[in-house]
Amino acid sequence: MGRIVLENVTKSFGDVEVIPPLDLTIEDGEFAVFVGPSGCGKSTLLRLIAGLEELTSGSVSIDEEDVTLVPPSKRGLAMVFQSYALYPHMSVRKNIAFPLRMSKMEQSEIDQRVEAAAQSLNLIDYLDHKPGQLSGGQRQRVAIGRAIVREPAAFLFDEPLSNLDAALRVGMRLEIGELHNRLKTTMVYVTHDQVEAMTMADKIVVLQAGVIEQVGSPLELYRTPRNIFVAGFIGSPKMNFIEGDEAAKHGAKTIGVRPEHISVSDSQGEWSGVVGVSEHLGSDTFFHIHETGLAETMTVRADGEVGFKHGDRVFLTPRADAIHKFDDKGLRI
Amino acid sequence: MSNRTLPRLLQSPAVILLLIWMIVPLSMTLYFSFIRYVLNNLRRPEWTTPSFSNWRGFGNYEFVLNNKDFIFAIQNSLLIVGSILFFTVIFGVLIAVLINQSFPGRGIVRVLLISPFFVMPAVNAVLWINMILDPVLGLQGIAVNGLNDIIVGLKDAPLVGWFFSLWPTLEPISFRATQTSAYAVIIMVTWQWTPFAVLIFMTSLQSEDQQQKEAAVLDGAGPWSQFRFLTLPHLGRPIAIVVMIQAIFHLSLYAEIEIVSRGNGNKNLPYLIGEFANNNIGAASATGIFAVILANIVAIFLLRMIGKTLME
Amino acid sequence: MAIVAQSTRYGKVTRTILAWAVGLLFFFPIFWLVLTSFKTDADAVKPEFLFFFTPTLENYLNMTENYDYWRFATNSIITSIFATVFTLAVGIPCAYAMAFNPSRATKDVLMWMLSTKMLPAAAVLYPMTFLTKNFLGIYDTHFLVIIVLSLINLPIVVWMLFTYFKEIPKDIIEAGKMDGVNTWGEIREILIPLAWGGIASTALLCFIFCWNEAYWTVRLTTTEAATLSKLIEGNRAPEGLFFGRLSAVSAAAVGPIVVLGWFCQKQLVQGLTFGAVK
Repeated sequence: MGRIVLENVTKSFGDVEVIPPLDLTIEDGEFAVFVGPSGCGKSTLLRLIAGLEELTSGSVSIDEEDVTLVPPSKRGLAMVFQSYALYPHMSVRKNIAFPLRMSKMEQSEIDQRVEAAAQSLNLIDYLDHKPGQLSGGQRQRVAIGRAIVREPAAFLFDEPLSNLDAALRVGMRLEIGELHNRLKTTMVYVTHDQVEAMTMADKIVVLQAGVIEQVGSPLELYRTPRNIFVAGFIGSPKMNFIEGDEAAKHGAKTIGVRPEHISVSDSQGEWSGVVGVSEHLGSDTFFHIHETGLAETMTVRADGEVGFKHGDRVFLTPRADAIHKFDDKGLRI
Repeated sequence: MSNRTLPRLLQSPAVILLLIWMIVPLSMTLYFSFIRYVLNNLRRPEWTTPSFSNWRGFGNYEFVLNNKDFIFAIQNSLLIVGSILFFTVIFGVLIAVLINQSFPGRGIVRVLLISPFFVMPAVNAVLWINMILDPVLGLQGIAVNGLNDIIVGLKDAPLVGWFFSLWPTLEPISFRATQTSAYAVIIMVTWQWTPFAVLIFMTSLQSEDQQQKEAAVLDGAGPWSQFRFLTLPHLGRPIAIVVMIQAIFHLSLYAEIEIVSRGNGNKNLPYLIGEFANNNIGAASATGIFAVILANIVAIFLLRMIGKTLME
Repeated sequence: MAIVAQSTRYGKVTRTILAWAVGLLFFFPIFWLVLTSFKTDADAVKPEFLFFFTPTLENYLNMTENYDYWRFATNSIITSIFATVFTLAVGIPCAYAMAFNPSRATKDVLMWMLSTKMLPAAAVLYPMTFLTKNFLGIYDTHFLVIIVLSLINLPIVVWMLFTYFKEIPKDIIEAGKMDGVNTWGEIREILIPLAWGGIASTALLCFIFCWNEAYWTVRLTTTEAATLSKLIEGNRAPEGLFFGRLSAVSAAAVGPIVVLGWFCQKQLVQGLTFGAVK
């Protein structure tokens, strides 16, 4: 069980309000991802749930129980830190066993659980190593092991993959996804990487300056972003935004089209421009188009085999049903 | 429990203890400095117990300011502290630069060098005044006698004897007179604290930017220019810190003065307070307040300086 | 290093000789003290540079008889150990709270602690004597010496511990909180094992400062709780009569501490400059 409800939560550091009043519910068993640019308050929000920061006002409850004033050690949550925060003076075995030892569990039960966790995380051979002797990925797994042995109400992840190299990150992403499928425990995951958010989440919470911009499933956010910020933040490469006459034609202040919703041709199309840099990924090619008269640069995706050269004049056509329209406040029309 | 109460609770024993330590005796000193208070006085026995009825206002301060010992003690304090600072910084920089680069046995030399710092002040004073600086039995006396013997020998030597015939006989210096015993204190404390300066300067030199030096070599800077334009500015801050810390320690120098100069008139401010405190508590307290003011002036500079780097 | 490569072989030899000369020069007085301690009193006062002599252990063997050395040494050991333990017991929680739960006042509190260190002892000498003698009746007791030694070293100890603790990542302490540890558990299970090296060298330095303290231990004791500082201070040789035995007792007073000092020379910089020189 692990239903987390935030009501009217605010947080100020001194005179600076980092989180204005905010409400949020994370359902039991859900994988919720907080995503946003750095400094948007997503880590603070996580630490408020953990109890590592005190609320300025409002309340937090877990499974209908108000834990606003409960210290972190009593909330029944487990956390995986960006720096892993392993205890460097303890072996892997002791690290994983630590929370159990603190809860005064029987030694035989501890051994059993540690063994099981190590088994599932491929750490069996490293149980007697110190964290300093492990690779980044292994340390990450120890941190996860330390979290899962306690069977917490919910897992909190604070940018857990950002210290890993790119290849390892993809692997760990899958492992955490697997873990969630297996345990079905609530997970709250903070990241600044929208790819991580899109691939892992049941529910994404997009934050900017402490304010929740939108909450929804990955595809909801992709298909119907509530405002320009979410539209620009979710999706890679970024959505193209066009203002002025072209937008007015659609009855909007701004229109947005994702690169993958624009087709490119050498002969005809709605808009035209000159090819700048092309990024060939094999499966896809991204063209950066200049001199369209619409925006400084527009990005379009084409099939991997399409071979325009630098300086070629090309024609672009947006998919009519994939044009996002925003009013002068930046909200979706 | 709130996140704030527990940290306060953990800090409170240390804070409360220090608060008592600072406030109680100091406020008593302040109180005594404004009353007539002596330990023995047959004619005015009421002065021998502290009481507000013996209020003297600034009388003790006036008495102290008009006492020639007070002016002398301040002068002497400043002379001693100033000289020690001067010599420890100069020697400290030179030695630190000398042993900063690696050479065979550097670790041992480092250990030899730092040793004086751990010698207890009382032993330091006894050792220097008796066994080293004594004009007859100390190494100083022995060395001077040795030189005299050599000169006498040379005077009798054939061929060159005429050249040495007019040379004087050297006199060993006695370090037990008023002023020379201050010099003895300067020598022994410099010996003890130069290692401290060396250690700090060396630590700082280790963090000197080697690439910057290599760039300077490529730019054609010789060793002297490197020292003058790179090393010395780099040492500016540690020098300031060494000066301030030592100033605080040496303004309250006591054991060395006590051992070297009992009864010969050499004194600094703490010693003078000790003298007054044998009978005239009022005057001792007023002098104490002056010492506090002097130390505070120094302390403010130090706190300003290290305050900046403190919380980074 | 290019800089070293630049200096000539000749320069390197000169540097080595010079450095050794300076090191030996600074160590020489201590060496001379130890050397003299093995001379008979008669040899020790000979006005000549006596390097070769028949060494005797007599001075050390008679230390108790001549000076009652062990009584003072025991006092030094007791007061220094207890003062160090007490200072750490008060200092560790304080530095822990400051390093991991800093508030806006933390910096000012640290500064203020330091400022108490700068209070000239002489200024409060009489009130201390008065209070402890007439009022509290603890003059010349171990208890008093321990308390005073603790208080004068507390600021430095808190400072040193603070600089060590600050190097421990905050995440690890927070991970402990999440793992269900209470504050006492954090200190015992995480902080102390992690900062063990720093705590040990702080303790060592504190012990050395206690041992060498020569103002309060001299002025607030007479016989009962008198330490080695008091012993030496009270026995400065009358015109060199007993150089041999005085040297022995002095060497016995400083020897252990100088050796301890060698082990914590590096921490000294951190402690005495309050982390301002790195």
